[in-house]
Amino acid sequence: MLTTAPRLRIRRPSPTTAEYTVTTLPPQTLPLRLLWLLLLFLRIFLSLITLLVIYARWVQERSSFGAAPTLFSPSSLPPLLSLDRIIFLLDTFQDTPGGKLLARIAASIKLPVLVPVAAAVFYALSLRVHKEESLLVLRGLGVQTSESPTTYLASAATRFIPTEKIQDIFVNEAFRGFEVRYYLVVVVEGEEDVVVVFPGLLPKRKIVETVWRGVRECLYEGRGEDSRVVANEK
Amino acid sequence: MGRKTYNIAMVSDFFFPQPGGVESHIYQLSSKLIDRGHKVIIITHNYDDRKGVRYLNNGLKVYHVPFLVIYRAATFPTVFSFFPILRNICIREQIEIVHGHGSLSSLCHEAILHARTMGLRTVFTDHSLFGFADAASILTNKLLKFILSDVDHSICVSHTCKENTVLRASLDPLMVSVIPNAVVGENFRPRDYPTQSEKGEGFRAESSPRLLGPHDVITIVVISRLFYNKGTDLLTAAIPRILENHPNTRFIIAGSGPKAIDLEQMIETNVLQDRVEMLGSIRHEDVRDVMTRGHIYLHPSLTEAFGTVIVEAASCGLYVVCTQVGGIPEVLPSHMTTFAKPEEDDIVAATGKAITAMRAGKIRTDKFHDEVKKMYSWSNVAMRTERVYDGICGTISEEEFYGFDTTGYTGSRIRDFALIDRLKRYYGCGIWAGKLFCLCVVVDYLFFLLLEWWFPRENIDICRDWPRKSPAEDTAEDSMKAAPNQRSTSSIRVAKLDR
Repeated sequence: MLTTAPRLRIRRPSPTTAEYTVTTLPPQTLPLRLLWLLLLFLRIFLSLITLLVIYARWVQERSSFGAAPTLFSPSSLPPLLSLDRIIFLLDTFQDTPGGKLLARIAASIKLPVLVPVAAAVFYALSLRVHKEESLLVLRGLGVQTSESPTTYLASAATRFIPTEKIQDIFVNEAFRGFEVRYYLVVVVEGEEDVVVVFPGLLPKRKIVETVWRGVRECLYEGRGEDSRVVANEK
Repeated sequence: MGRKTYNIAMVSDFFFPQPGGVESHIYQLSSKLIDRGHKVIIITHNYDDRKGVRYLNNGLKVYHVPFLVIYRAATFPTVFSFFPILRNICIREQIEIVHGHGSLSSLCHEAILHARTMGLRTVFTDHSLFGFADAASILTNKLLKFILSDVDHSICVSHTCKENTVLRASLDPLMVSVIPNAVVGENFRPRDYPTQSEKGEGFRAESSPRLLGPHDVITIVVISRLFYNKGTDLLTAAIPRILENHPNTRFIIAGSGPKAIDLEQMIETNVLQDRVEMLGSIRHEDVRDVMTRGHIYLHPSLTEAFGTVIVEAASCGLYVVCTQVGGIPEVLPSHMTTFAKPEEDDIVAATGKAITAMRAGKIRTDKFHDEVKKMYSWSNVAMRTERVYDGICGTISEEEFYGFDTTGYTGSRIRDFALIDRLKRYYGCGIWAGKLFCLCVVVDYLFFLLLEWWFPRENIDICRDWPRKSPAEDTAEDSMKAAPNQRSTSSIRVAKLDR
C-alpha cells in the first residue's frame, strides 16, 4: 500500500535539462499522507523506547562498577538545551513506573544480545519505505545518475558522467534472478564495466524506452539516431 | 492469404560456440524458419563467458541461460529450477511452440515438460541412436519415454533413428516424422568448382575428370571428434594396415578428443609421422578446406543417427568410405560410397577397394556436389518442419497430417492439455515409473500455479519482435516449381490492378 510498481516522473527545469525519476512512491493523497505521519510518529516512538532501554542498562552497568551517579538537586536545574539537562530528564524518567518497567526489561536481557538487537532496531527504523532512482541529463555537460540510499541517515549516491566520456546509451536485456529484464546502460569510455541506470528498480520496458528516447534527444539534440536514419535512407 | 506463422523456441543444451551436428542443425533450421516468416528464438545454457541474450544474424535471438555444466556440455538435470526462467522467456517472447533437440540434453527434456504444463505445443527432434542394454541407456530410455509420452510430435533425422526412438520410447510410429539434416551447399564446394558467375558465362565443354596417375598420392581425410563412439579405435587399428598395403597414400585427421592420444601412439610406434597428419580440432568453417585436400573420406563411426559430415564430404567431391551403421546407409546413394562392416578387416578392405577405384578413375567425384545439392537443402527441411508445426497446431486437419491409419486406431492424436489426460498418458509408462512421473507432473503443475501467483503474467514485459520477413510463398519448394508459380501469382496481381 505504501509503495507502487516503479513509475516514471519527468521534470524539465530548463529546455536543456531533463530529470527522469523512477520511484516506487505512490501519488500523494490525504489518507496516504496521514498514514505517513502515523508511521513517522511510530518510528520516533519506537526509537525513543530503544534509546531509553539502552540508557537504563547503562545506568545499571555504571552503578555495578561502583561509580557514583551524578545527582542533581531539584532546586538547581541545569540550563535548558544542555547535555546535563538531557541526562537529568533521563534520570527523572527512570523513577517513573514506565522507566522502572524499561529498567526491568533492560536488566533481564544479556548485554551481548541487547546491543546487537538495539542496533538492528535502529537500522530497521531508519530504513526508507520507497526507493527512488533518477537520471539527470544536462545537454552539453553530461548525465548524472543518483540512487536513493536505503536508510534516512545516508545521503544519495550520485555519479556524474561527462558527455565526452559517454560512448553510447542503449537498452539491453539480461538475466536477473529468474527473470529476463530490460535495462538502460551508459557505456563510459575507458571503463571496463558499463553503468546501469536505475540498477535497483529495473523498471519495465516502456519506462526504459521513454527514458532512452528522452536522453538521446536531450544529449544529442536529435542528431543521434535520426541523422543516421536519414543517412541510411539517402 | 498468408500461411500461419508461429513463435518458436528451440531448446537444447547444444549450441554454438560448441561445434557439432546438432548445433548447426538448430542454427540452419532456425534461420530458414525465420526466412519463412516465423519468429524463432533459441534457449541454451551458458558457454564460458557467453551468458545472457545475444542476437545472431537474421535476427535470431539466443538466450544463454546461466547453468551448471557437467559432462560434454550437458547440463545438470535440475528438474524444476529451469521452470521460472523458461516461463518468463516464453511469456515475454509469446512463444507458441517449444521445439527441443537432442535426447541427451536435459534442458530440452525439462523445457518440454514445463511447456506442456504451460499449455504450449511441443516438438522433439532426436539426433542420436541409443542401445537398449547398458544401464545408462536404460535410464535415458526411461527418461525419454517419460518426456515423449506427452510430446505433440517427434522428428527424427533418419528412418533408422525413427525406428530406434519408437522402440525406445514406445511411441505411436505415426507421431514420429523423419526429416533429415541438410548441408549448405555453398560452403562445401569442391576445390575447382566454378563459382556462380563463371558458370553463367555460357556453355563450356564439360570438364573431363582429373585422372590420378599410378604414383600420385591419394589423401584420405578423417574429420570427427575422437571419441569411442566415433570409431577412433577402429581407425587406430586400420591406419597402419592401409598405409602398408597402399604405398602412395596418406591420412589427414582433424578433430580432438580423449582418443587422440591412442592415435599419436600408433603414429609413433609405426613411424608414420610423414604419412599421417594430425590437425587437432578445427573450426567448422575450415572443414571444407581440409576436405578438399583429400580424395577419400573415411568415416569409421560405430553409431550415427544421420552423419551430416559424410554429406559434407560428398558435397566437397570426396568419395566416402563408411561403416554400415545406424542411419548412414540411408544418407548417400550407393555410387558415392563404399560400405564396410564396423570391424578392422572390413574397413581395410573397403578402403583398399576405394583407393583402387579412385586410381582406376571409375568414380566421377566431380559430379557429387551438384547431386548432393539437389538432395539436401535446409529450406526443404524448414518447409517440412513447418508442416509438422501446422499439424500439431491444428492448422491442417488431423486426417491430412497423419493420413489414414491402417492399424485401426481411432483415438485422436492431438494431445490436449487437461491435467487428467496428461496424467493418464504418464501413468502408462510403467508400474513404478508411471507413478513417479505422475508425481513429477503434479508437482510441476503446482509449481506452475505458484509461479503464476509469485510472478504474475502481467508484470512480465513483452518483447519487441525483430522485424519479420514477409512469409515466402509455399512455392519455394524447389527452384523447378517456383518459377512458373511466381509468374502466375504476379499475373494475378496484375489482373487485380486492372480491375
